[in-house]
Amino acid sequence: MADDFEPKIVAFLCKWCSSAGSDLAGVSRMQYPPNVIPITVMCSGSISPLYILSAFKKGADGILVSGCHPGDCHYIKGNYYARRRIALVKKLLEYIGLEPQRFQMSWVSAAEGTKYTQIIKDFVDDLKPIGPQTKLRRSS
Amino acid sequence: MVNLEDLKKEAKMLLEEGKVKYIIGYERSTNGLMSVPAFIKNPKNVERLVWDPSCIYNLTRFLVDEKRRKAREKKPDTRPVGIVVKGCDSRAVVVLLQEKFINREDVYILGVSCEGTGVVDEKKLAEKLKGKRPDKIEFDEKDNFIITSNNEKIKIPAQEILAERCLECRASFPVIYDELLGEKVERKSGEPFKSLEKIESLAKEDRWAFWKEQLDRCIRCYACRSVCPMCYCDECVVDTISFAVTADTAAEEKAQKIKWVEKSPDSSENFVYHLVRAIHLAGRCIDCGECERVCPLDIPIRFLNKKLEKEAKELFDYDVGFDPEKPSLVSSFKDEDPEDFIR
Repeated sequence: MADDFEPKIVAFLCKWCSSAGSDLAGVSRMQYPPNVIPITVMCSGSISPLYILSAFKKGADGILVSGCHPGDCHYIKGNYYARRRIALVKKLLEYIGLEPQRFQMSWVSAAEGTKYTQIIKDFVDDLKPIGPQTKLRRSS
Repeated sequence: MVNLEDLKKEAKMLLEEGKVKYIIGYERSTNGLMSVPAFIKNPKNVERLVWDPSCIYNLTRFLVDEKRRKAREKKPDTRPVGIVVKGCDSRAVVVLLQEKFINREDVYILGVSCEGTGVVDEKKLAEKLKGKRPDKIEFDEKDNFIITSNNEKIKIPAQEILAERCLECRASFPVIYDELLGEKVERKSGEPFKSLEKIESLAKEDRWAFWKEQLDRCIRCYACRSVCPMCYCDECVVDTISFAVTADTAAEEKAQKIKWVEKSPDSSENFVYHLVRAIHLAGRCIDCGECERVCPLDIPIRFLNKKLEKEAKELFDYDVGFDPEKPSLVSSFKDEDPEDFIR
């Protein structure tokens, strides 16, 4: 792929931890690639598989789902449900032949701005060699 | 051996005593060999009931329809409905009970055991008979089917004409029943997910090519959805046909009714439809194979659903459709669920 390919990453961040974590990265002026489009959701457990498929269909090159660490969920157990559901979605997407790097999940707490920037950096590095996502993208 | 007379006698008694509203079972179809669903209200008609390897349908779907019908009636008949179920179908009843879609007292389950064999695959049978017209098909004592064609009896090993799903059967006798006919015979097949290996062993790009070829053919007739006993939502996410966006559609309205999937049978839309259906059936699909049977384009939909049944078993040690008291797959979790894929 061409070197100038800039992947577009959609990040579903939970409001209480990951979103605050990305905010911390912002206010602390940490440098990280601008490829990510953050979408704040109330809880990682509220992310429907349809959000993910829909984002891929609309041209996302990679999708990140991020929530609180196990035990830290604002709604006590939302992230446990998410963990189960996302595991199934990930397995299914790999089964139909999508590159496993395109769909990732992470735990980022409100204090982990550095971890968040590292995850985005790694994600971009993962996506650059495999090029744009065309498999699930809507053609017309 | 399931004695058909016992089934008829039981059905007759239930109807005569008024214990059930009606009985959903199988009867001979007009084309001779295969059976079709039968709805029997009058005890005199129990003679129509049949049970043989041609009873391929999953009748559980009619419990969903029955619930809808009951909801519309002003003074509903609250008696249960009698239903004839095979082992696999009984697992579908378990899932419906588990999700509290139906109550245990709404249904009287007449379980029939497949006893080590199962039901036939119409296509495999036709291939085997090479144009001969079968009139009757019976179970044999020993892993064979006996087919009568023009007064000639043909013996075919069951393994050769069994439906694909029966070769990977996980419940050869009903797991839940009020009345059991036949013996509880455990099956020998020990590899319930073997057929998946064929696809799983392909390289990533080949897997993609395979699924793209299959799903591109989909014409989105939604027959798979209509026949599925688990697809019982009143409004399906893929139906946004009545929603038109005009100049004065408010933003709020749009947000309320997002068009997740376009109607057109494009490649990307077909993928979203089939993947969403597979995800929605995760931990609920009992592999009755009806979606694949009704598909006019022979898309192997079973392999999508079955993959998730396998993952549920491997990742979360979850067996679909055996215990009505257990919480469903995605509404429960364990502390030790795998998280090696999470950063």
